[in-house]
Amino acid sequence: MSGPRTLGSKIVANALAVVVLVVMLFPVYWMVATAFKPGRDVLTYTPKWFPTHPTLANFRDAMGRAYFWSDVKNSLIIVGVVVVLSLALAFLAALALAKFRFYGRKAFIVLIIGVQMVPLNALVIPLYILLSRVHQVDKLSGVIVMYLTFVLPFTVWTLRGFMLGVPRELEEAAMVDGTTRFGAFVRILLPLVAPGLVATSIFAFIQAWNEFLIAYVFLHEPSKQTLTVWLANFTTLRGTEWGPLMAGATLTALPVLFFFLLVQRRVAFGLTAGAVRG
Amino acid sequence: MRLRPGSEELAPVSARFPAATTATVAGTALHSRRRRRSWHRRALPVAAPYALLLPTAGVIAAVLGYPLYLLVKLSFQKYGLFELVRHKGHYIGTANYARILHDSQFWTVLGRTVLFTAVNVALTLVLGTAIALLLVRLGRFMRVVLTTGLVLVWATPVVVAVDLWRWMVDYEFGVANWTLTKLHFGNFLHHDWFANPWTGFGVITALIVWGAIPFVTITVYAGLSQVPQELIEAAQIDGATSLGVFREITLPLLKPIFVILASLSIIWDFQVFNQIWIMLDERPTSDYFLMSIYSFVESFRISEYGLGSAIAVVMVLFMLGITFVYVRQMVRIGEVQ
Amino acid sequence: MSSIRFANVSKVYGDGTLAVQSLDLEIAEGEFVVLVGPSGCGKTTALRMVAGLEEASDGEILIGDQVVNDLAPRQRDVAMVFQSYALYPHMSVRQNIAFGLRMRKVTKPEQRRRVEEIAKILGLTEHLDRRPAQLSGGQRQRVAMGRAIVREPKAFLMDEPLSNLDAKLRVQMRAEIARIQRRLKVTTLYVTHDQVEAMTMADRVAVMRRGVLQQTDAPQRVYESPANLFVASFVGSPPMNLLEARLSRGPDGLVCRIGAAEVDLGHRPELERFADRTIGVGIRPEHVREAEGEEPRLRGEALLVEALGAELLAHVAVPAQPLLVEDVREGAGADDDEAALPAAATPEGETTMLARLDAESRVRAGDLVGLSFDTRRLHFFDLETGLSIRPVAAPAPAAVAG
Repeated sequence: MSGPRTLGSKIVANALAVVVLVVMLFPVYWMVATAFKPGRDVLTYTPKWFPTHPTLANFRDAMGRAYFWSDVKNSLIIVGVVVVLSLALAFLAALALAKFRFYGRKAFIVLIIGVQMVPLNALVIPLYILLSRVHQVDKLSGVIVMYLTFVLPFTVWTLRGFMLGVPRELEEAAMVDGTTRFGAFVRILLPLVAPGLVATSIFAFIQAWNEFLIAYVFLHEPSKQTLTVWLANFTTLRGTEWGPLMAGATLTALPVLFFFLLVQRRVAFGLTAGAVRG
Repeated sequence: MRLRPGSEELAPVSARFPAATTATVAGTALHSRRRRRSWHRRALPVAAPYALLLPTAGVIAAVLGYPLYLLVKLSFQKYGLFELVRHKGHYIGTANYARILHDSQFWTVLGRTVLFTAVNVALTLVLGTAIALLLVRLGRFMRVVLTTGLVLVWATPVVVAVDLWRWMVDYEFGVANWTLTKLHFGNFLHHDWFANPWTGFGVITALIVWGAIPFVTITVYAGLSQVPQELIEAAQIDGATSLGVFREITLPLLKPIFVILASLSIIWDFQVFNQIWIMLDERPTSDYFLMSIYSFVESFRISEYGLGSAIAVVMVLFMLGITFVYVRQMVRIGEVQ
Repeated sequence: MSSIRFANVSKVYGDGTLAVQSLDLEIAEGEFVVLVGPSGCGKTTALRMVAGLEEASDGEILIGDQVVNDLAPRQRDVAMVFQSYALYPHMSVRQNIAFGLRMRKVTKPEQRRRVEEIAKILGLTEHLDRRPAQLSGGQRQRVAMGRAIVREPKAFLMDEPLSNLDAKLRVQMRAEIARIQRRLKVTTLYVTHDQVEAMTMADRVAVMRRGVLQQTDAPQRVYESPANLFVASFVGSPPMNLLEARLSRGPDGLVCRIGAAEVDLGHRPELERFADRTIGVGIRPEHVREAEGEEPRLRGEALLVEALGAELLAHVAVPAQPLLVEDVREGAGADDDEAALPAAATPEGETTMLARLDAESRVRAGDLVGLSFDTRRLHFFDLETGLSIRPVAAPAPAAVAG
């Protein structure tokens, strides 16, 4: 990629970039700004662009609402289990796809890709019916398993990509040096795909944390719900208190924003690496 | 230090045909000779990949495979509250399908969904690509800043995004209303955007495109940076303008990425549910029905699970074609890897 | 220390390609054998079969007296140096070298001792705590060697370890590897496509082509008595001149007509049955000289004279028919699809002959030169089989038709 060639075009590019940045980020900024504003500064006809009297009152309000902390706990539990399980399962599956030749391999790869396309909304219906038969509705475990299913395909695919990038000779050298085949996977391959593990665990974290529909349909008890459902129910409980709502929204988004900044472009790159060169 | 005596007599085939030592010989002739294979050494590697795949395949089959089958089965059944309690459906053949296909609302919803999808996908791809092209021209610092900003948008949970957009277009205190009025686009003070489905969908489209742009931008940008610099330089030396380079070199190379992005966008936008649901306080009017909402409402609100399933099946079928395109493109890339 | 033996080993791939065919080869204890041949000849496959990274389709592989076909790599107690070195990037040099020891549960103090000893021998002491990425190519190569040596294995297996180094480093490392092997007396099977490496390092050279072993012998013997056309053109740089010749009976024995020159061969019992037939004739550039007096010669224009310092290498266009068979082309390094370039450029009955001349020679490019050769140094080849025609007196090293 060539950089800008003239000073003029460079200025234009940068100016445009600033405009785009402002337009895209403004909603996020506005949410956070509102969260820090006291009530009277929120409900004004003429918007106050900066929180001149920042306060934590909204946050206190939001956190004090019913079920906030229990829902945070639920979200954390679900997310934690999903991340750990998905990593373990995906690592094994990616091993199979990347390092072995076997009958049905290509079919499975196609399956992995295609399965991500099955619409969630459509499956909620039979899933609900299925789970209500076995009385698993309103249980965290049911939600965890469902989340796993939606996270695994991408995780397996990405880890497989990382594994393919490790030269086969490294494992062979380890085997000649004295490991078993599986020993070579654990001692050599695993450390070398660590970046992939990090990227996919963050992806799993974000998917699980942000998810709404499944948690909404399957968790009815307010004490069992996740934070996203809590937030969605915020307004229906008591009119629309924008300050606390924005505070609640900020809190819900916080962990994800934080971890996403850590992984940045790796996720998109992993999806399409090699697409251009073919 | 010598070969085994008598090896001269072996005189393999090639001795008589000097330059014809072909590398390809049917392997069958060799298999008859002594072969000692330790059984367990062979069996273990063969079973290993299947064992490794089993947990993942199991989870996917259980949560995706079986329910999918169930969905289709349900679509041929009557399954209301009564059946829910009894845990058993009542088979009615294609009655559900007949009902929806003759229902004008179904067709309205389908048409609306298609239009909605088309607009969203087009806007997302165009704007996303434009910003990616902008990214290419930026200096390192601005690029990092802009990318970080995009990532922040991308990471925002849907529920959060919906809430904050709702706040921005709030009919009383919404900052968007105030800004648009100030910019003389009309009088939007005290304007309820959702009274009119067109403006309501306008807001929802803005919300969705806003949230979808980062992914497209970052992916396209990643693709752009993989275009070999030499190709561009060669084209420039050959006399191509910037536009020419983009059209002749960059775009064709980026085609696989666009296929993937378009497919993914179509699939996601066709299924949009959360944004509408939450934006309208979980009580959307029928003007706001998209396929996924329609299916959901029929099932969980009216407790006509069979009908809802039929609608969902239609939805899945509709997207099958796109899915096929996507999968094929991904496999092409994946196999080369 | 153990010997390595291939007993009628073959390797067939799933799609039917025969990578190695009925290989019989023994590497004695402490011997350095180089398996050499053009790419695709099966040498690397053979090596990997010893390591256990490929499974033999047929035959037995023995390390010492033990048949190892069914043993996993880690059970064979061999060490391997890969072409790309295969150093573990996430481990330090010390950890890389110690890896095999760790797998064998050698005690920590013992590990330390051995690693440091090896590091000293290889000059790696100050790099012990660095990562491979921070080392130069030569240093990485030495780490790979160290990892192999420290385990004191039954045998060393080396897969083109020098190909990734630049020319000068390669020469240096060649000597070092040979020196180390001699000092440690480890049985070594070394694979390369570079025949110079093979000739300089090996106790014995085993030449392979398309999965078939062509000749196994001491380097000098392979050079002086190539078993067939392929070996003749593969071994030796610059390559042997190979020409068509016609034998006829003369008053004093056999007469060989090479192009425009007629050479008296005298009594050659081994060539009797080829009288009145066309055979292949080979002469190495160092045995070609400027003709003197009345001796038979091939005359032509010197196209190019390369000044190599200690000698001159003259490319002379001579009226003689070159041997254009596949064995020769492959030996000289042409791909299967490549047309033999010199033949395409020169007309029928003409070819370029290489001659190594004295530095004092006054031949210049463009000069008309007469080339002659020592008839005792001529190699003869049966064109039907490609085998060399051996003088009856000399013992025939067991060879395979190529």
